[in-house]
Amino acid sequence: MKLSPKLQPCRWDGLVVLLVVVLAAACALAVWSRGTDTGELTAVVTVDGVETERIPLKEFPDGERTYSGNGYTLHVRLEASQGETGLGLYVAAADCPTQDCVHTGTITRAGQSIVCLPARVIIRLEGGTVDRDAPDVVIG
Amino acid sequence: MRRFAAALLAALMTVGLCGCSWQTESPDEAREVIQVIAMDTVMIFTTYGEKSTHADYLSEDEVRRLESLLSRTDENSVIWQLNYAGGLGIDVGEEVCGLMEAAEEYAMVTDGAFDITIAPVVSAWGFTEEENRVPSQEELDKLLALVGPEHITLADDAAALTPGTQIDLGGIAKGYASDRIAEILQENNIPRATISLGGNVLAWGDRPDGTPWRVGIQDPKDPNNANAFAGMLHLTDAFAVTSGGYQRFFEKDGKTYHHIIDPATGYPADSGLTSVTVVADCDRDEVDGTPGVGTMCDALSTALFVMGEEKALDFWRSSAYDFDLVLVTEDGRVVVTDGIANEFEEIKESGYSYEVVS
Amino acid sequence: MKLTTRQLTLCAVLTAMALALSYLENFFPLSLAIPIPGIKLGLANIVTVFALYALGPGQALLILIGRCLLGAVFAGNMNALIFSLLGGVTAMLVMILLSRSGRLSVYGVSIGGAAAHNCGQVAAAVLTLGNTAPCYYLPILLGVSLFTGALTGLVAACLFRALAHTGLTRG
Repeated sequence: MKLSPKLQPCRWDGLVVLLVVVLAAACALAVWSRGTDTGELTAVVTVDGVETERIPLKEFPDGERTYSGNGYTLHVRLEASQGETGLGLYVAAADCPTQDCVHTGTITRAGQSIVCLPARVIIRLEGGTVDRDAPDVVIG
Repeated sequence: MRRFAAALLAALMTVGLCGCSWQTESPDEAREVIQVIAMDTVMIFTTYGEKSTHADYLSEDEVRRLESLLSRTDENSVIWQLNYAGGLGIDVGEEVCGLMEAAEEYAMVTDGAFDITIAPVVSAWGFTEEENRVPSQEELDKLLALVGPEHITLADDAAALTPGTQIDLGGIAKGYASDRIAEILQENNIPRATISLGGNVLAWGDRPDGTPWRVGIQDPKDPNNANAFAGMLHLTDAFAVTSGGYQRFFEKDGKTYHHIIDPATGYPADSGLTSVTVVADCDRDEVDGTPGVGTMCDALSTALFVMGEEKALDFWRSSAYDFDLVLVTEDGRVVVTDGIANEFEEIKESGYSYEVVS
Repeated sequence: MKLTTRQLTLCAVLTAMALALSYLENFFPLSLAIPIPGIKLGLANIVTVFALYALGPGQALLILIGRCLLGAVFAGNMNALIFSLLGGVTAMLVMILLSRSGRLSVYGVSIGGAAAHNCGQVAAAVLTLGNTAPCYYLPILLGVSLFTGALTGLVAACLFRALAHTGLTRG
């Protein structure tokens, strides 16, 4: 044998067990106490069907970010609203003809999206805490 | 001794547990969400199950196929050829012919409230062009002469139009697409999904936690507010389509003109309704990829908006088709037919007064 | 690393055995008993522990990498490679350290290995998913690894006892 294994459990094994238990407890505290989060509220931007960016709202820069597609540009800003759960996104300005994206206003929940058809840009929110009252899909 | 060791080894190995390892999630919970811009709107396919990714991309392919098949602007599409055939018969193929037959049926039963020949009038208002305008009465009269199901002739897989008449299947394209996607979901054993095609929804199965899908109906008086709802539907295996003037409109000289044109007058329908939602069950056994319940909901949502509250409810009571309605009126009421009353949730903050009719 | 023919053959046999054990696992769907997504019998770890003591860290690592690579190829799923490699190599490194200390029995080493294996796999999942959601399962997995590690140790101990008189591990 390269190494001669001890075949009987010994005291030091107990130390390993203890270490693992402590590690498990630490993990449990750190991770379980955060509540039913399915990850942070994240903005997913697709241009022409291709995902170009995925950025948690917490990391969204203070000014604005621009997204362009098919010759049109959208200027997107973060909104920290006072009453509700905090963060949202809205299109401050865009040069598309219909301005639907600007009219959409602020999106704050997972599943909501801002769409610019001419630019073929979709900004959609995913993740975040589960909102029991929110619809899964909206018609109209 | 060696044989004993070997036997012991074998026995212990089969019994022994050692270590755990991570694997991919259980196949039924696999979820795939894709977003597509097609048919001039945003479509979101959310499917669950082992073949979710496959089904999503098949659905996207199907939508794109239909988009080019039914295009009014692509010279290669049979619709374009038909519209510019100058009265000649065109072989449109079985699929388009089937769609046109369905459209004809809905035109008949709604007394022309649903009419695919209204296309040139809609264009006259600028809804398919770059700019909106208000056409003159003279122009409308001329165009209306060419409007009506009597200007379409169908035979076998061919169709012909009166010269000057043009059709647009956009009013049932999304509904038909949802019927086609239902077949894709069925064939791929998708347990649950929500397919959103602009204002058309197919709620397939129920949510992962066993409760029905929550489908919010946009509040017509606050259309740009993503959190403003006139009501909430709780659906399992159902189609739901909403039509409303607020979806596309323009203002000129202080007046508002929306895109749902009344084929009888050539003007935007002035029926006292702000939105119509048609809901119908999706029977998985009857899903076969032909124009079905999804197509019906799409056609009826437009037709009933034009017909107005009274006629719409009469039509519902006639039981010509199996569906239910949620009507939002200009005078602040939400009318729900009793077949769907149990699956409808009022939204108190909306400020509407709710009533159930039978 | 120079291997004698005998050592090379032994490595090959052990790699094959580890692969066979990985395949065998599919017949024991542990997730029915313990409802954590993707829990399975990591039977191949028996081979890793054995090889570590019997053949040394170098050859044990060879067998591990061989098993992970071939396993991914046979399953037709190269994505699984990052999971098994990260888990296996983490376990390997920890077990090398623990066994070198000389103070632990096979039980301690195996438990440490099992715990490290889980940490490695969760790390791979976090990297793949891009968020920290997989960490939720770590506390439970670590708890279970105490038992599974102990059992690996038991099997390994029996193995060593049973094979002690053979010349299987002579270089």
